This record gives sequence, structure tokens and C-alpha cells, in this order.
Amino acid sequence: MRSSRTVLVPALAALSIIVAACTSSSPSGSATPSGSVAPVSGGTVRIGIGGFPDSLNPGNGLLTESYTLYELVYDTPIGLTPEGDFVPELAKSWTVSDDGLTWSVELIDNAVFHDGTPLTAEDLKYSLELYRDTPEFPYQPAYPDVFTDIAVVDATHLTITLEDAIGNFESRMVFMYVLPKHIWEQVEDPVAFQNEEMIGSGAFKFVESEQGQFTRLAANKDWWAGAPNIDEVIFQTYDNADARVAALVNGDIDMITEFPNTAVTALRNAENVEVVVADPVSGSLSDIIPNIVEPENCPVDEGGVCSGHPAVLDVQVRRALATGMDKQQIIDVVLLGLGSPGLSMVPRGLGDFFASDVSDYPYDPAAANGLLDAAGYADSDGDGIRECLADQDCPTGDLTFRFNYPDDSDSSPRVADMLKGMWEEIGIKIEIQALDPDTLTSVCCPTFDFDLILWGWGSDPDPAFLLGVALCDEIPYGFSETGYCNPDYDELYTRQGVEPDHAARVAIVHEMQQILVDDVVYIIPYYEASTQAYRSDRFTGWVTGPTTIGLEDPSSLAVISKVQ
Amino acid sequence: MKGRAAYLASRVGWALLTIFVVVTFNFLLFRILPGDPARNVSKDPRLTPATVAALTVRFGLDKPVLINTESGNPFDSQYFIYLGSLTRGDLGISYAFRDRSVGELLGGALVNTLWLILPAQILSIGLGMVLGLLAAWRRGRSLDVSALTFSLFMWSLPTFFLGIILLFAGSSWFGLPTAGRITVGAEFGSYWEELADIGRHLLMPTLAFTLVLLGEYMLIMRSSVVEVFSEDYILTAKAKGLTTFQIIRDHALRNAMLPMVTLIAINLGFTVSGAIQIESVFSWPGLGSLTVSAVRDRDYPVLQGAFLLLAIAVVIANLLADLVYGWLDPRVSEA
Repeated sequence: MRSSRTVLVPALAALSIIVAACTSSSPSGSATPSGSVAPVSGGTVRIGIGGFPDSLNPGNGLLTESYTLYELVYDTPIGLTPEGDFVPELAKSWTVSDDGLTWSVELIDNAVFHDGTPLTAEDLKYSLELYRDTPEFPYQPAYPDVFTDIAVVDATHLTITLEDAIGNFESRMVFMYVLPKHIWEQVEDPVAFQNEEMIGSGAFKFVESEQGQFTRLAANKDWWAGAPNIDEVIFQTYDNADARVAALVNGDIDMITEFPNTAVTALRNAENVEVVVADPVSGSLSDIIPNIVEPENCPVDEGGVCSGHPAVLDVQVRRALATGMDKQQIIDVVLLGLGSPGLSMVPRGLGDFFASDVSDYPYDPAAANGLLDAAGYADSDGDGIRECLADQDCPTGDLTFRFNYPDDSDSSPRVADMLKGMWEEIGIKIEIQALDPDTLTSVCCPTFDFDLILWGWGSDPDPAFLLGVALCDEIPYGFSETGYCNPDYDELYTRQGVEPDHAARVAIVHEMQQILVDDVVYIIPYYEASTQAYRSDRFTGWVTGPTTIGLEDPSSLAVISKVQ
Repeated sequence: MKGRAAYLASRVGWALLTIFVVVTFNFLLFRILPGDPARNVSKDPRLTPATVAALTVRFGLDKPVLINTESGNPFDSQYFIYLGSLTRGDLGISYAFRDRSVGELLGGALVNTLWLILPAQILSIGLGMVLGLLAAWRRGRSLDVSALTFSLFMWSLPTFFLGIILLFAGSSWFGLPTAGRITVGAEFGSYWEELADIGRHLLMPTLAFTLVLLGEYMLIMRSSVVEVFSEDYILTAKAKGLTTFQIIRDHALRNAMLPMVTLIAINLGFTVSGAIQIESVFSWPGLGSLTVSAVRDRDYPVLQGAFLLLAIAVVIANLLADLVYGWLDPRVSEA
């Protein structure tokens, strides 16, 4: 009996704590009844998010949740609105010399860090140089890498010298979070620095965070652009998407930044909940990668196997694949309609860079069959799959392609199944196999040991990064997944990089997309829309619009106010 | 007495050897997997070759894996550097959270996991034993049948399904929180209020976990007691005129406890990882969710640390079971 009594006593103690807990009061953020809408200051906004910031150090961040936090706590020289427009932030103005090699930046004079120290051109110079010269920072060095010399003129003026002119100065500035030099210069190893105080100059001050649980921010009532109306923002992590949706409906939280498309209808019908759907400015891109590396470009020294199906190298076959694909049906089934048909590597959310003047291959199985017939691919043995041409050395003798996708993707299995059915209609068979992302990387690039892969990229507000993966030079390193190599395309890439005139650069970027579509370098099934939802009975003034998504952005959080 | 000391020493020796083998095995296991952790940091064209090269050096992956045959020092390899740091208690730096040490990440997650699993284990062991005992005592009666049905049902219910059901029931009917360990930003008047708030957050995860574990304990306890009840010495005890309570207390329980100790030892070791589904449903930032994300990110140092912790938990639980066995059944340590 001894052993069982010692076990039972703590069990009863635990039970009594839990029972006592049941009867205690509800959390502080309880629901306010909806009624007259009169904005007042104060209040805590609770936001449910799917992940947790991976670092408080703006150099180290990888996840969207981290960048959301940096946007609120830090200021950047130039801002990017949720519509995709560049606007002055810390920089009042920026001008370029006639040769395009010297940029002069004038900063505002009333920005102050959260510890009371004024923000000057010295802080901007320090930050740009830190990001540029710390290669261990995963993303940041790619933006200021062309700034060869940064010189402070006075407290509010700075000049940046380049070796070659650039066409994307603004987009290189939108993630350059200005750090306080007086704190960071004391730091021995900026990569190991946890930045637990997180002193910035932004609309919100960092208060506290607990790994994997929450991040708490307080309004910076002395913000140079005007004090936010609310007092506090709390980001709470919900690993489970259904729980996140339930928490919004129950009123535990005031806004959620992402949720499954299956929840959209329920949320639209829920009382006091508004749903926002739009194309994100830097969302992720889903793509189908054909292996089109030419034998002479095979990066053998880097481990290139280049075992792609010879028919995939034939542009007519790729055009038939694109024509035989019902993108709208995939969007309706997989995304429940929340997306738009894909075109090229530049997503719709990138504003005027998206080539709206380039037309896609319209879905037409008869035309796709016609393309294959004309190219000489006939189903001579009557098994429903077309045979290869006589001079092609195909593994199975017919148009049977390997089709891989990463096994951590939720939507890919359904997309693959639908494609299998669509392409069977045009006499092409795919053998579907999901692979672990690491294995997929090892068969992909620069190995080129695949036929077709359904995968994707993270995206940036500037099209240069994504357009750059189709360059010849990227084949040996592994950014080039297709193995595409076209000197004309490379020449245009170089030109868009140095074109200072925005309209002229946009024209070049559109021309590049036309080439990508003509040569079917990628097949883009869709651009997925982003979804967010908020409670309309708690806070008012959220910035929304048909092309606007970013309720967690300072542009919303700094202006919303409590509903009385 | 000498026998008992030798028994203890051999058990502890075996435990240490097991941990060393696990450390080496874990180290090699993750390095056999395909993929490059430095490149796997992100699939994004902004991750330039220069960054991948710099991260490879920072992670120490530029050094040979086992033995350095190139430089003069054969011990300047990933394996020996890892062993060296381990002896100093340094588990390394996480690849996914590049400014955080593995010790810091694991420590925080372990505390959260213990908050979740300790009450659930204690409750389920206690309730499981009582239910099992009652069922065995009332064998074949309605109490036995209903306890058995309940336990079998709970045992076969998928953990995440039960978790989701309880999550929704708790939040919509009782207004219980849907995520986390504590209400963020709430002002607590006293330590008791804070504890009550944690309790509100713990209620549903603990209930889910208790129900899942309860069935197994109850079933083992029941069959074990039923078996003991059929022994001749129980008949003798009855013949001597002892009450049922005395028979259970003095004769049945100690012998029936042997299989339970084995089960508890196995479960204690594995609940550290077994809480993964509960943690994910209730957004509980414990060891389970940390391990899952570390597998996804190829975060070798965190995985090595988590598996080491797991191995130590299993080994210690087994060691304790061995020692308790020796106490419950003196034949074990004297053999």
C-alpha cells in the first residue's frame, strides 16, 4: 500500500490545482460588445500566428514571423507598403548621380531609438556595413552587397557609392533595419548576438518573448511618425491551424495572419469576423521544374548526372504539358479558388513587374495533342502513351516522366494527382514519387537527376532574385533547377540590373518573362493568395483593399484603434 | 549485501556505456542522411554561395567527420570536437536558431514538457492502478466490464483526435484557452492566481494525455492483479480469514506491481517524446515540437541534444526500474 499512497497524494494535489484553476477568472482580453463605432486609444491587440520568430537579431532571421517583428520594432530607410509601393521612411529623399554610381540619401532628423538615443546617418552606415560584411547572415548580405563605399556627410546625409549602376536601389533598402550603432558596436560576434533588448526606432518597443509561445510589444508613444493608438501587441503562436481559427471565432484573439483555405467559408459566416484575401507582395511561388539541361552544360565536376528524359528537352513537349494543364481546375480544387493562374517566375503580387501583357498557354487538350502529333510523338502501340522519337534515347521508349515533389508539402499530392489525369489525356504518363526535401535537393541541382519536379521558391519584392535562378552561371551552383541556359536572357538580366529608369526596367523584366513563357522554362500552376482575418468588434481602422494584405504590418497596427 | 552493491555497480556501468554508444550512434546517424544543413537553411535565391560557405565554417561542418587525416591533429574532427564540448556540458549552437545554444533551447522545452507530462503521468498511473485493482476485484461484474470498455476505448483513440475534440469542447463550452502555457499580458495579483492561470491552460492537455495513458495502465494492472488473485497463497490468505482489503494490501499488490513498474519505466522514458501530438494540438512549446522542427531543419546539434536527453531519460528510468525490482522482488538482486 505504501507505494500507491505516495503516488496518489501528488496526483490529488495536481487535480486540486486544476479544479481551482477552472473556477478562476477569464483572461484580461475579454470580448467587448459591438455597438457604436467610436475610435479610442489604448488596448491590446492579440494576433494568432502559425510560427515563432527564429531570431530577435535582424541579421539572423529567416522566417516571416521574424520579419513581421523587425518591421514593427525597427525602421528602414525606405518602406514597402502592403500594396507593393516604395515610400519614404527614415530616408526623406534619395537621389542618384547622372552616372548612376553615387546615391545621396537624406534622413529625417527626428527619429529616436527606444533607449532615447537619436538615430543618425552613422547608424545607417553602420547597419548597412554590418549586413554587407557578415556573410553568416542568411539573407541580408544580398541587398547591400553592391554598396562599395558608404560615407557619412553629416547627421542626416549619407552617400553610397557603387561600382556599377543598379535599377533596384529602393528594394535593396526595404529590409535594411537600422540598428543602434552604440549598442551593436560593443558586440563581439554579431551572429551569436541574441539581441534580447531589441532596441530599434520603430512604432513598437520590444517587451518580452518566450520561445515558441509569444512575443509582446508595447506602442512607442514617441514614434517620429506619430504614436500608435493601441497600447500593446501580443503575437501568440498556435501550432495548430484549427485551434488558431477557433481562437479567433471565440474571441481569444483579434486577428490571424494565416489559416487553411478550408476555414474561409466558416470564418466568413462567423459573427464579427472579416476575412481579407489578396496577392502577397513577397509570397512564395509554386512551380513545376522541367529538367532541360543540355548535355554540353551538364555540371559534371559538381556531380551532374543529367539523366533527364530527352523528350522534356523538346520545347514542343513542354508546351504541350503547359497547354494540357487546367490551371483553373487546380486552383478550384487545391486552393478552393483562392489563387490565380500562374504565368512566370514573377508573381502577381509584385505589382507592375508582373507581365500582364504576356499571354499564357490556354488550357486546350486538343491543341496539346495537336502539338505532340505535329512534333512526331505518336502512340504507335496503342497503350495510351505516346512513343519517343526515333533519335531519342528514352528509358522506357515512351513519354513516361518521373514526377517528384517534397513530402512536406500539403497541396502537392493533390496537384500531382490532378496533373496525372490531365496529362493522360494527351498521352503523357507521370510516375509520381514524393521525396524528402533533402533528397529532392540531391536529385535536383546541380545533379539534374530528374524529369519533372513540383516545388517552389521563397520570393522577394524585387523580381531580380527569382529571375536570376534561370541564368547560365547558376547551373553549377545549384540555384538553376532547370539547367536552362540562354545568352539572350542573361544579357537582359544584366541590363535590368543596371537600368535606373523604373519603366524601362519593367519593360525588360516583362521581356524576360516572355522568354521564360515561350521556352517553357518553368510551368507555374498558380499564384496562391494570402488570407488573413480579424475581429471587427475589437479594433477598427485595419488597412485593407483588393490588392492589400498585411494586417500585421505597421501600416495597420500603428493606425487601428479600439472599438468603443 | 555485497551482492546488492555489485548489482548496483553493474547496472550503473551498463547505463553509462549505453549512453556513450547512443552519443556516437546519434552523431553518425544524422551525418549519414543526405543534404547539407548549411544549404538547407532556406530554399531562397538570396542565400548566396558565400553565405553557405560561411555558415558551413560556423557550423564546423568544414572539418572531417571522424578523424582528421589531413592536418597534424587527428582529433581536429567533428566527432572529437563534439565529444570534447559534451564533456564540458556544451551541446553546441543550434543551426536553425543560430544565436541560441542547444542547452538553452532544450532546457526551456524540457521544463514545459515536464509541466505537461508529470501531472498526466501521476494522474494516469494513480487512476489506472485504482481502476485496474477495482476491475480485477469485481472481475466479471458490471464495474469490471465498464472500466474495461472505457480503458480499451481510450487506449485505441488516436491521441491527436482526442486532443482536438477536447480543445474544441474546452474552448467553446468552458471558455478555456486554446494555446500556450499562460495568458500573455495578464496581470496576476498573486502567485496563486498565476498558478491558476497555468492550470487553466494545462487542464485540457493534461486530461487528453491522462486519458490516453490511463487505458494501458488500467489493463496491465487488472490482468496482473487477476493473475495474482488466482495464486494459491491468496487462497491460503482467504482461508486464514483475512479481509479482502488485507489480502490486497499485504499479499496481492506488491506482486502485482512488478509488470506495472516495467510499464511505468518504459513510459516515463518515452513520454518525453510521446507528448509530441498533444504538444502540437495545444501549441505547447515542449521537447516534442522542438524535436519535430529540428528534424525538419536538419538541426544536428538540437537533434543530438534531444536524443541524448531522451536516451538519458530512458536509461535512468530503466535503471530505477531495475533498482525497484530488486526491492520489490529480492530474488532479482540476489540472482
